Amino acid sequence: MVKAYAQEHIYKHPWEIVTSASWRKFTDQETKPTLSHILSVDTLNRNLDTQAGKLYTTRAITVNAPGPWFIRKIIGQNICHCVESTVVDARSKSMQLITRNVSLRKYIEVEEKSWYDPHPENPESWTVCKQETSIKIKPFTALASMAEKVEQKCADRFLQNSVKGREVMERICKYLESEHSGISI
Amino acid sequence: MGLINKKESLSSSSTKPCAQLRAAYHDCFNRWYSEKFVKGQWDKEECVSEWNKYRACLSRHLEDKHLSRFLEAEASIYHSDKKDSSGFN
Repeated sequence: MVKAYAQEHIYKHPWEIVTSASWRKFTDQETKPTLSHILSVDTLNRNLDTQAGKLYTTRAITVNAPGPWFIRKIIGQNICHCVESTVVDARSKSMQLITRNVSLRKYIEVEEKSWYDPHPENPESWTVCKQETSIKIKPFTALASMAEKVEQKCADRFLQNSVKGREVMERICKYLESEHSGISI
Repeated sequence: MGLINKKESLSSSSTKPCAQLRAAYHDCFNRWYSEKFVKGQWDKEECVSEWNKYRACLSRHLEDKHLSRFLEAEASIYHSDKKDSSGFN
């Protein structure tokens, strides 16, 4: 059982601003009440290729485990760790993120890929974000019949959170832009 | 109220003692990213002392097996991959 989603969103902000906002999305203090499912974010690794202008980063994102209480009871924990790997190519202006869960993989596998690129028609001021998500619940004997419901619930939750995520992105973009114009005056 | 407290206690993951060092590093990184990296100044690694302090704290407190395993795995990938001059780590 796999559910897959593709989404596309256009930010009417330049690539530099949108990718800056993407880094701040989970760590910004004001974001916390909106993205309350994110419990903590740690940077595990970073590597800068000073020749090519490429930045490689790995972060650990701890989230509230999806699913209803009975699932949590069986799994025995409420939190789930995800690892996010990011490559930013400053020269060609591209950012790619892949997020996967590392815990609970016995039960569920979620993979989200995102790309941020300058909008082809308006590369200086707009940014396209493409996202592909796959959610796979492993049927385990006692709960096989319920697995599909959980999968749906998980997918619904994911979509709700991605809308919230975009709102947060917009807010940070606006903040960064006002900060920029403040400096240039 | 009760719910928030419950969440709070759940989030008290093993890396909580690193919260200040983490915030200092992320602040530095965010500034470097938006003010330098995206503007073409990628020739120099910055926030190095913030990173070293935070990283040292993480390796002491990252008790979660999944993550510390990942931390080690990633480190060895980067280590063997690294072609540039900073080969002492």
